[in-house]
Amino acid sequence: MNANAFWHFLTLQLFKERSKHLSIIGISVMILFLLSSVLFISSSLRFSLEETLKVQPDFVVSRIQGGTTVPTPVNWGDELIDIYGVSKVASRVYGRYFFEAKEGSFLIVGVDFLEEQSHENLQTLIDSTDIQAFFSGSQMLVGEGVKAYLDAHFYKDAYNFLTPKGMFEKVNIFKTLPSQTNLIANDMMIMPIDLARKILGYANNEVSDITFSVPNPDEWNMMTDKVSALYYDLHVVNKNDVQKSYENLYNYKGGLFLILFLVVLATFTLILYQRYSMVYSTERRHIGLLRALGWSINDVLKFKFMETLVVVFISYILGVFIAYVYVFILGAPLLKEVFLGGQNLHNTLSFIPIVDFSVLTSIFLLYALPFIAAVLIPVWRVSVTDPKEAML
Amino acid sequence: MTDKMMIQIENLYRTFHHGSNEVPVLKEINLNICEGECVVLKGVSGSGKTTLLSLIAGLDKPSSGKVLIEGEPISKLPDLFASELRAKKIGMIFQHFNLFEHLSVNENVTIALIPSGLKMKEIHEKVAEALKVANIIHKKETLASRLSGGEKQRTAIARALVADPNIILCDEPTANLDRDNSLLFIDILEKLHRMGKTIVIATHDPLFDSLSFESTIIPMVDGKIV
Repeated sequence: MNANAFWHFLTLQLFKERSKHLSIIGISVMILFLLSSVLFISSSLRFSLEETLKVQPDFVVSRIQGGTTVPTPVNWGDELIDIYGVSKVASRVYGRYFFEAKEGSFLIVGVDFLEEQSHENLQTLIDSTDIQAFFSGSQMLVGEGVKAYLDAHFYKDAYNFLTPKGMFEKVNIFKTLPSQTNLIANDMMIMPIDLARKILGYANNEVSDITFSVPNPDEWNMMTDKVSALYYDLHVVNKNDVQKSYENLYNYKGGLFLILFLVVLATFTLILYQRYSMVYSTERRHIGLLRALGWSINDVLKFKFMETLVVVFISYILGVFIAYVYVFILGAPLLKEVFLGGQNLHNTLSFIPIVDFSVLTSIFLLYALPFIAAVLIPVWRVSVTDPKEAML
Repeated sequence: MTDKMMIQIENLYRTFHHGSNEVPVLKEINLNICEGECVVLKGVSGSGKTTLLSLIAGLDKPSSGKVLIEGEPISKLPDLFASELRAKKIGMIFQHFNLFEHLSVNENVTIALIPSGLKMKEIHEKVAEALKVANIIHKKETLASRLSGGEKQRTAIARALVADPNIILCDEPTANLDRDNSLLFIDILEKLHRMGKTIVIATHDPLFDSLSFESTIIPMVDGKIV
């Protein structure tokens, strides 16, 4: 078969049956758009999470009594630093501050200016911040969600916190955190540790938790056991546990969509399969006619394969492209709420464009293989029957 | 007509199965057709003419016996060779025309040459030639769905001729045509006969009883040549 003649007929057939092909492409693009969007969002969130966790401490130690978290004694830090393999011990004060009952809440995080580790963590979060200027007064760094929320309630430059002692504490907004940190810092307020203690009602010898690093990852399991043995009410969590809990959440939501996609794809595939295998369908008669005109089984299969491949490629490229625009340029309206919904402040997180080859390949295989099989299997079955029977 | 044997049918049987019942459609068919010969298979509906034509074209497989096209057993050949033989040596005209309704006359005829390995330029030349012979070139851009019965028939003839096959098989070619178009079809057949084509026609139309050119009428009754 001459390649030019083959392509001539292929393009002719695609054009002449454009309404049929366009309807298939339309449905395919919708399915692919949905699948690609979900996979793009989950891979972007995973990347953001990994990037954020990279700068987080390896371990967090807190105190649990009676099944609830209570303030952690600051002197536990001294005992932790004495353990061989432990480094960068830092204490943190944080807690939820409710703007008004049933309304939004902020996560207050206190940072110790004198602790080198806290200092480093803060610096990685906000590269361009002048740390000394920040610690010089009653000031805070706020996440984008917090800033938007306070602006909406007319707190443009400062906010008056009500302390547990019934006093108002005015704190100025020093700077807004960069949007890349929105995944975890959207509702965060970072302030000097003493100020956080005052607002959250902690004593001077108390902190919310203590963080430390263990540079050798092989020691992590052993370190968990060793630290846990220090006090009966000591609770220790490592970075992997945090990562797993976030991933489980996003994978769960992504998994739901994947199931939805598979159901839709299975239905679509079934419809295609039935259309091509219908006993008296036009497709069947056309295949029989081509065979009667001297087309071999290989010719027919090659033709139908290429015809389907063109439809698959057009659908794939369109579906993935639209999903890319929807997720990474438009910010995935509606779908973002499914993944990030449930947060107390509106999150303006923008997805970092992460498209890895494995995701694109997965999308292609998940879609193209069942689609091509749904067309080619019945076509092959018709092709191998006698042309006379196929033309009936 | 020459002495060269184009179609040889030896002891051919075709039986269909309906559940546990066996329905014999063709029984003990033996027939030799020479190059340039025009053979009219005559018989009522159900006499087995169309089945015999399908077996000659390789569109169906015999239950036993064999069909040789220029000495090659078409039913025994692997698909690739049988398809090639069908594409190059046999032109088929169907009772219901069997055109691709969404394609134009030109495109319908082109399809038959796609597997031939010819370049597009050669294909276009051959298609134009076939359309002229079948007297349908003036409608070459018209969609098949918009053609009259006679025009569809002439398109089918052009498609059957385009690969310049030696054998033309016609299945009830005038069943869906009025008398004028039927006579026009017979004129084209005569032209093909003069070109030296071997023609086999399955029909029950009395118009073929007295053709103006040399032909052999073979009556068929209940799946047998009588």
